Amino acid sequence: MIDHSLVISPMTAILFHLKQGFFLYAWPMLIGFLTILGYQAMGRLAMSGAAKWPVVFVLASAVSMMSLFGWTMMVRGLHMIPFYGCGVGLASAVTSRVYAVTLPEIAIAIYPNLKIRSIRVIWRGDVNGIQKLQQALRARV
Amino acid sequence: MKILLLAILGSIALTAQGQVPRPAPALRIVEASGKTTVLSSYRGSVVLLAFISTRCTHCQNASLIFERLSHELAGLQVLEFAFNENSDAPAFAKQFGLTFPIGTGTTDSAHDFLGVSRGERIGTPQVVVIDRSGIIRAQSERLGSPILQTADYLRELLKAVGAR
Repeated sequence: MIDHSLVISPMTAILFHLKQGFFLYAWPMLIGFLTILGYQAMGRLAMSGAAKWPVVFVLASAVSMMSLFGWTMMVRGLHMIPFYGCGVGLASAVTSRVYAVTLPEIAIAIYPNLKIRSIRVIWRGDVNGIQKLQQALRARV
Repeated sequence: MKILLLAILGSIALTAQGQVPRPAPALRIVEASGKTTVLSSYRGSVVLLAFISTRCTHCQNASLIFERLSHELAGLQVLEFAFNENSDAPAFAKQFGLTFPIGTGTTDSAHDFLGVSRGERIGTPQVVVIDRSGIIRAQSERLGSPILQTADYLRELLKAVGAR
């Protein structure tokens, strides 16, 4: 309760409520989302057998540390449960639609010799992308 | 119908708390050293009075903010009133490096000052801002007001009340 006759800049109150809103509602959702996304990515990489064990170890450690750090930063209370759940649900729904993640090399226009790897997601509905990936895998065998 | 109406009015009366602005009631803060401070002796200064529990982490964090503000703003007096059982105010002040007076008192005296019915649950810290003429200009909601525990907002509020 604040005396309404006091002249206080509304900006500080607005900033406070924005910050509070972010940590109360958006942060649990973000942590739920990133936790599932991280564990799914790590799990798929570990199960594929393509990555060396130190890579799997480092990635698994990083993902678990990230989720624990997020949980300690979270304002824990009953109100955060649905938001955390929404983040987890959203990440699970998104990852369930992913067919594969590839790291194709892309040449830079200015320096054609310099190639960098970028992340490319192939979605389950992308028939062309899936066919191209399967052809590439068959050609590799 | 009448009984229902009476029950609703009764419950509103039970959960009511003192409104702002209103004159600050009398309060005696007894420090561990035995020094007694009367709130009215700070008339002429802006007073930031916090009712705390020394074990509550929100109170500990807020106390650090109050300490910072007490050095930043001229004409501001910070006071704390610990009302949890077996509160060790000197140990609390030492642990968090607090230099303002911290007294102890009963839960009932905290409730009476805040205008909350005795026995009613209150969230700590309860922050009260009193202007130079002894009028309460801001007070936490009964279950606590996080905005009154943030440095930026408190600074603006205290300046609006008269601290410089």
